[in-house]
Amino acid sequence: MPKHVVRLLSLLAAALVLAVVAKWVFTPESFGRFGHFRANSVSEIAALEPVYQTASYCQGCHSERHAQWSASNHKSVTCETCHGPAKGHPQNGKLPIPADTARLCSLCHQATAGRPPTQPQVQVAEHSAGQQCAVCHNPHSPKIAAAAATVTGNIAAGKQRAESCASCHGADGISPNETWPSLAGQSASYLVKIMAAYKSGDQKDVMMTPLAKELTDADIQNLAAYYASLPCRSAGAGTGGGNAAAGKAVAKNCASCHGETGIATNRAWPLVAGQTPGYLVNVLKAFRAGLRKDPMMAGVSRGLSDADIANLAAYYAGQSCRPDNQGKAKP
Amino acid sequence: MKINSNLSSAARRKFLGKLGLAATCTAAVAGAGTLGLAGAVAAKTESPPQGGSFPTKDYDWTKHQWAFGVDATKCIGCLRCVEACKNENHVPGNAHQFRTWVERYVYIEGEHRARIDSHQDPVNIKASGSEKEYRFADRYKDLKVEKAFFVPKLCNQCTHPACVQVCPVGATYKTEDGVVLVDEKRCIGCRYCVQACPYGARYFDEERGVPDKCTWCYHRITKGMQPACVEACPVGARIFGDMRNRESPVSLFVRNNRVQVLRPESGNGPNVFYVGIDKEVS
Repeated sequence: MPKHVVRLLSLLAAALVLAVVAKWVFTPESFGRFGHFRANSVSEIAALEPVYQTASYCQGCHSERHAQWSASNHKSVTCETCHGPAKGHPQNGKLPIPADTARLCSLCHQATAGRPPTQPQVQVAEHSAGQQCAVCHNPHSPKIAAAAATVTGNIAAGKQRAESCASCHGADGISPNETWPSLAGQSASYLVKIMAAYKSGDQKDVMMTPLAKELTDADIQNLAAYYASLPCRSAGAGTGGGNAAAGKAVAKNCASCHGETGIATNRAWPLVAGQTPGYLVNVLKAFRAGLRKDPMMAGVSRGLSDADIANLAAYYAGQSCRPDNQGKAKP
Repeated sequence: MKINSNLSSAARRKFLGKLGLAATCTAAVAGAGTLGLAGAVAAKTESPPQGGSFPTKDYDWTKHQWAFGVDATKCIGCLRCVEACKNENHVPGNAHQFRTWVERYVYIEGEHRARIDSHQDPVNIKASGSEKEYRFADRYKDLKVEKAFFVPKLCNQCTHPACVQVCPVGATYKTEDGVVLVDEKRCIGCRYCVQACPYGARYFDEERGVPDKCTWCYHRITKGMQPACVEACPVGARIFGDMRNRESPVSLFVRNNRVQVLRPESGNGPNVFYVGIDKEVS
C-alpha cells in the first residue's frame, strides 16, 4: 500500500479514536439514561432540602398556638407566612414575631382594587388610626370574639347566694370603697365570664379565687342574673385626680368595645361607666402589668401612661351607668 | 488497448485488494478501541441503584403527572406566594428576578385597555419600601375602577416545551412526571431558553450564570409536600396535585370548573389551568 494512503488512513483512525475518547470524557455520567439530559440532575434537584416546613412541623412544639390558630378564620394563613420559613428553627434561633402588624396585615387587608369582595378589607389608616392591628386583634384568632353568654339564672336564688358577697360588694351591689368593683347593673354575660374565670383559675385574685372556687355553675348564673338586675349608681369623677376631658380623648380608643361613654353595646364586655375611679385605675394598671390577663386589654393598656389611666378613670367614673339614658345600647 | 486494459484492471484489482485490507485493519484497530471504550462508557453511565424507583428511593416519577390550577377569582394579590417562592428556592432578593409573580389587571372607566402592573412596577416597589418586599400599592383609589382582578403566573411546565427544544446541550428537559427542570451543571448560559419561553417564565441568574425557573418545587412535591406558593396562599387561589389521582385537588379543580390555559395557540401545551381570567390575560 502506498505510504501516503497508509498515513491518511492512520490519521483518520486516530481522529476516530480521539472523537470517541472525547465523547466519553465530555459526556457526563447518566446522560441519556432517560433522554437527552443528565438523569442524575433530576435526583440532585429532588434531593434539595425544603425550606418551608408546614404548620404540622410547628405544631410539634407550639401545639397550644396551633390549636388556637387552626380553629380561627386565619387557619388558611400558615405559620411561616408571617413568621418566615422554619428551616433551621429551633436549632439556629428564634423566628421573628412581626412587630409592625399594621404593615404586615395590610398586605392582605388593605382595601385595594382587584381584591375580591369576599376578602375582609379596610382602609388601614382610618380603621386603626395609627395603632398596630395586634392591639385589638389576636393574629392567631383575629375575629374579635364577643359572643355574649346567655344568662338563665334565677334572680331570687342569686340574691340569697349574694349574701356572702355583700361584705365587700355591698348589699345592693354598690361597693362601699374604691378597692372593689360595684356589681349592680353590670352586664350579666360579663359577670358569668369573669366568675367562671376566677373559678377556673384563668383569672386570679387573693380574695376572689377561693370564693369563686366554691361557686357552682348554677350559682354563677344566679349571681349574674341578680347583680345585673340591680340598679347601678354612678360614682362620679370626684376623687381620682384625673382630668375627665383628657380622659374622653383617650377613651376614643376604647369606644369600639366599651362604647363612647363606657356602656358596651355588646354585653360580653363589661360596663365601665360609673365605676369608682380608684377601682378603674387599679384594674388598668393590673392589665398593663400583666397581672390581669386578657389579650385585648394587654394590648390596649400597654401604651397607657399613669396620667392616661387617671384621666380615663375620671372620665368613665363620671359617666352615667344607665343604658336607658343613652337610648342606644342594646341589651 | 486491450493489454492496457488488462494491465489497468489488474492494477485496479490489486489496489482495491490492498485498500480493502487497509480498511479492515483500520476498522479492526478502531473497532477494538471503540469496543474497549464502549465498555468503559457503559460502566460510567451506570447510575447507582435507587431501589428500583427514580429519582429518589421513595418516589417513582412514572406514577405521577403533576398539574397546577389557578383560581384568579380568589387571588387577593398579597404576594405571599412570591415571597415564599423566593425563600424556598433561593431566588435573588430583588424585584426583577422571580419564578412566580402576580399581575393585576385594572379596567378604568373610559379606558379601552386594562392597566397591568405587578410587584416589579416602580409604584409598587415604592409602596413596599424596598425591592426585597412585595406589595401592591393602593394606587387606583382615586380613579373609577370598572373591573379589577389579580392573575398569579408561573411556569406552565408545557407538554411540548419550547425552552427544551432550543437548548443546545440538553441542560433543560421534561421529566416523566410532567415538570421542566434546569440542570445547572450542564447549562452553558446561552439563554436561548429564556428567549424561547412564550410566557416569560424564565429569568437569568447572572451570579450563577444559568437561567432559573419555577419547578413546582420539585424537591417538595417528590417528598409528598405542596409547592411553597400553594402552601403560602392564604385564600386557596393556587391548586396543585396529581392528574393521575382523580380525587386530587387539581383533578377536582379541572373537572369541576371550565378552565383555560394561557396562549394555547403557541402549541406548547401548558399545564397551568386558569379560572376567572379575562380576554386580555395571556
